[in-house]
Amino acid sequence: MTTTHPEGTARSSSGQPAILRLTAVEKRYGGVHALRGVDFELRTGEVHGVVGENGAGKSTLIKIIAGAEAADHGSIEIDGQPLAAGSTTSALGAGIATVYQEPQLFGELTVAENVFIGRELRRSGVVDRRAQRDRVLELLHRVGLDQGLVDVRVADLPVAEQQLVSIAKALSHDARILILDEPSAILTDREIETMFAAVRSLRDSGVAVIYISHRLDELAQITNRVTVLRDGSVVASRDTATLSVREVAELMVGHALESGTADRTAPEGEPVLQVERLTRQPKFYDVDLSIRPGEIVALYGLIGSGAGDVVRALFGIDPADSGVVRIAGKEVSLRSPADAVGHGISMLPANRKVQGVFGTKSIAFNISSGHLKMLSRWGIWVDRRRERDIAGDFIKQIRIKAPGPATRVDNLSGGNQQKVVLARQLVERPHIMLLEEPTQGVDVGAKDEIHRIIFELADAGAAVLVVSADLPEVQQLADRVLVVRGGTVTSEFHRGARAAELLAAAAGDAEPTGERSGR
Amino acid sequence: MTAVTDVAPPRRRPVARAVEGQELALVAVLAVLWVALSLGTETFLTSSNLSDLLYSVAPVALVGIGMTAVIVTGGIDVSVGSGVAVVMVVVSKLIRDGGASLPEALLVALLIGLALGVVNGVLIAFGGIHPIIATFGTLNLYRFLALRLFENKQVTGVPDTFAGVGGGGAGETIGVPNAWWMTIVLAGLMWAYMRYWATGRHWYALGNDPAAARLAGIQVRRRLVAAYALTGLFVGLAGCVLIGSGGLVQQNAGTGLELQVIAAVVIGGTSILGGRGTVLGTLLGALLVGTVTSAITLLGWRSELTELFIGLFILVAVGVDLVRERRRRAR
Amino acid sequence: MTVQTTSPERATGPDKPDRLSTWRRALDLVLSERVALLSVLLVVVVGYFYLLGRQGYLVAPYDTDYLASALETLVPLCLLALAELLVIVSGRGGIDLSVGSIVSLSGMAFGAMVGLWGWAVLPALLVTVVVGAALGAVNGLLVAYLGFPALIATLATYYAFGSVALLSHDNAPISTGPIQDAHSLTQAVSVPLLGDGFPDLPLQVATFLLPVAVVVYLVVNRTSYGRRLYAIGTNDIAARFANIEVRRSRFSAYVASGVLSAVVAVVTVAQFASARPDAGSVGSGMALPAITIAVLGGVAISGGIGRVAGVIIAALLVVWLNAGILLAFEGSDGSQFQLFALGALLVLSALLNAYSVRRGRGTG
Repeated sequence: MTTTHPEGTARSSSGQPAILRLTAVEKRYGGVHALRGVDFELRTGEVHGVVGENGAGKSTLIKIIAGAEAADHGSIEIDGQPLAAGSTTSALGAGIATVYQEPQLFGELTVAENVFIGRELRRSGVVDRRAQRDRVLELLHRVGLDQGLVDVRVADLPVAEQQLVSIAKALSHDARILILDEPSAILTDREIETMFAAVRSLRDSGVAVIYISHRLDELAQITNRVTVLRDGSVVASRDTATLSVREVAELMVGHALESGTADRTAPEGEPVLQVERLTRQPKFYDVDLSIRPGEIVALYGLIGSGAGDVVRALFGIDPADSGVVRIAGKEVSLRSPADAVGHGISMLPANRKVQGVFGTKSIAFNISSGHLKMLSRWGIWVDRRRERDIAGDFIKQIRIKAPGPATRVDNLSGGNQQKVVLARQLVERPHIMLLEEPTQGVDVGAKDEIHRIIFELADAGAAVLVVSADLPEVQQLADRVLVVRGGTVTSEFHRGARAAELLAAAAGDAEPTGERSGR
Repeated sequence: MTAVTDVAPPRRRPVARAVEGQELALVAVLAVLWVALSLGTETFLTSSNLSDLLYSVAPVALVGIGMTAVIVTGGIDVSVGSGVAVVMVVVSKLIRDGGASLPEALLVALLIGLALGVVNGVLIAFGGIHPIIATFGTLNLYRFLALRLFENKQVTGVPDTFAGVGGGGAGETIGVPNAWWMTIVLAGLMWAYMRYWATGRHWYALGNDPAAARLAGIQVRRRLVAAYALTGLFVGLAGCVLIGSGGLVQQNAGTGLELQVIAAVVIGGTSILGGRGTVLGTLLGALLVGTVTSAITLLGWRSELTELFIGLFILVAVGVDLVRERRRRAR
Repeated sequence: MTVQTTSPERATGPDKPDRLSTWRRALDLVLSERVALLSVLLVVVVGYFYLLGRQGYLVAPYDTDYLASALETLVPLCLLALAELLVIVSGRGGIDLSVGSIVSLSGMAFGAMVGLWGWAVLPALLVTVVVGAALGAVNGLLVAYLGFPALIATLATYYAFGSVALLSHDNAPISTGPIQDAHSLTQAVSVPLLGDGFPDLPLQVATFLLPVAVVVYLVVNRTSYGRRLYAIGTNDIAARFANIEVRRSRFSAYVASGVLSAVVAVVTVAQFASARPDAGSVGSGMALPAITIAVLGGVAISGGIGRVAGVIIAALLVVWLNAGILLAFEGSDGSQFQLFALGALLVLSALLNAYSVRRGRGTG
């Protein structure tokens, strides 16, 4: 990252005055110490990257700056003046605007309407459409959007442009500080360039930008300085030009905190699942992988890398366009979940609320819903006793904290809900188990439990494929790690690989050359 | 090795359109039908037939103006037929027995319609009841109210106070029923309101994403009540139009009106899921339904075929709309 | 790392002090358990009208004989309400506005078979059911496979089927001899074993309603198909991940609705000794009361929730309430107050549903 990008982003911003300053900010959530004495400084006319692992404190920091949360201790100052804590109105009024990952726009309304929806400019009671339109045209210009789009329906715009509209909307609050939360997560390569151009232009016009990202390779292209958070503290805050992707990764992960890895020997033998040149444009392409019985392979990649899509293709949810999948040597077609299940494949979906649980139903209902034919006499008559017994067994075996099989699932904690969905996948011993983000939003205790179950599965001979963006989890579980970036597998590591290496491979350019990272 | 992860074909630059949905297609279909009917029959293109057609479509179109807003917010109102009955029985008795003048009777009609609409709006926005359930309920309650007010007999001898918006010659200006002129004017106003006024646009936001709308500072509940209240006003107007030149008001007034209105709105391109639709489309949809009805009579076909055609038109219109939206969102 | 903190599982912990009196707890239970509430209301209604009758306020006695004969209206209403249950539970805005038209059209088919072509009742019944299934399949195709919103699809078929029914026999009813004979299917008969002490029940209750209701109950509660239906209604994305054929299950809900409507058609033809082309469109149509009863019975419009028991008791409540109203008022006032009762019941039960959901208890 020591290369000077043509746009000169790597130049230092040290000459500029500070517009935002946080001093010794502390924040606890119950027992979790989210921020420990954080000092943070943002200068005018700079793009300041903030990076850190999940749980490092990034989102808490942002919430405090944006006024969604109040710090327990410490101060925030804008232009030297203290900022009222915990008030989004004050923050907005002071010129702090936030743009989140998913553009929160109304698809059916035009660009101009979206910018001012709910707070239309009025003149003596009537909406001042002329003033609004002029303002929107100006904002579009600032973010680099074609001004002809002002009356276009937002749903007709590609995602990247929708995001620019979100940015324009944030700016319409007369923002002097713009917080961008993972802006590139949902964008493709070309679109990211558009977004970068907008950010640079804003920076040049005097807006200070806080740029949160997991994609370390982007930092060189867009940021002036980078602050690295780890476990609630700032471990470094330096000019981008002085850091390499590898160094940032090391800082994020920490030397002493190498996550433990399980004491497992990788099994030998013929692979039970072989995937060749699996492609589904534009999500992933040319994916090759193979898994042996008893082996745990991780697909490790950032959000949007395509890892999740691979797994969903293997389960027949969004089937691949081309490529070959072989199970036990025989070529198979996986065009629906029924096909997958028929070949002994089971999948734990990523988002349990949307893709996993039947919230208003009981544990027993949830678990048996994937195996109705098996649990029914003659395939029709549900054997309720057996269903209850199986549910009861699982509750005991995987320690689901619930009074009984009849408990409504949406009364359970996140971790226990996840266990219920996992139990559903385990009823008929799968030969190949696919898991997507198995411990997302799950407490530590349940996380360990789920990992234990995964190990037991593998020990019993199943081939396990885990998709996870959680680095410690990947290190803990995987016999082999396939790093996915930009829709394909870019590197492979074995158990015991260093966290920083994995992170760098997934998040940044491993080659220190002048080439733009080939995402 | 650069990953080419976006292989979208070159996109046509999205343009701002004055007319978003299938209004153009509807105009075309209507034009074709009218031409075909004029050529195919001798009586379609006569002024008396056309004014009959426009007069009969007017109540549906009027209520449709309000219903468009309601459906855009993602809701629905099946109580409009019963509401019309209430308005008609009260107003017709008022002008017959109470000697009310046109302005007075009109005011009463509007107030009653407004009240009925507000009840719907409150049940839905504040009571949290799903619109179809709430308005199924009020459909019954309002029909009950109407029947009680009818006192088991039709209202006869109603004076021609409302002849000005009626179906006969007195209700026409340059050959077009006043009821239709009124409809066009009001439709135009509503169209402008839903296109240019902030609170009109808020209905679309609300129908698109109620949670995001609330976060954006839109007064969701107020907007909802407004949509149903407005529909109530149009129900009042429709009642007056139906009373028209007076004479007889039957107890089953307004029965089935809601379905015709919904059909008109849906054929006009408004999505039942909310967030999309225009009053212009509704007018065209109403005209289409009316044209089909008239055509079938003139062609000497069985009148029962009307409903068959309406059903088919609904399917085609919604189907085309579905396909178009799916293509638009293919990313 | 966000930890999901939700309220603890519904455990009967030692933390709740016994401040709630038993009355309060009973009230809580009744309000949240729809079946309990409806049963209580049923008893209240029947008791109320019975007392009114004893005190001479009614036109005729509200006794068991009357209640038994009122069951005649229970059969079509209950069956259609069960049809709506299946369709609404299947989720994605499921509803069937076309049941009335399917009743009309399949009724005409039955009428043609028995009344015009001289078929025996049983084969004609079977073919009629197939006709109903086919009509329901059209709805199912539109909704489950083509993605039409159910409201629109069934509105369109309501028009289309109703129209074909009117056209089928030149808009004239079929009331020939064999049809008149079929009326015997629906006369009141004395219940065997219980003899004279027990009032005569309309035959169709035993021959049509009971078996069909039992089948529906079993299918919904005990079969894997029933589970699939509730699963897709609760969360059809999770259902897909759970390897449930979402489209096929949803499709079959609409087919089932068509089947049930066809059964109602046969009963209606027999009951009126005439196959009428507008049988399903009387009043505001048959769909409205059916949906009302389903919602009253605890079926959630959003899908995935609803019990057969609730629907049946709700139907009974509505039927006996209507029967009582008919006796309490003179002339056509009665039918008017029935409208009021229906509307009020619907609004109040929906308010109750919304309130329960807000309190986090579901609709029981």
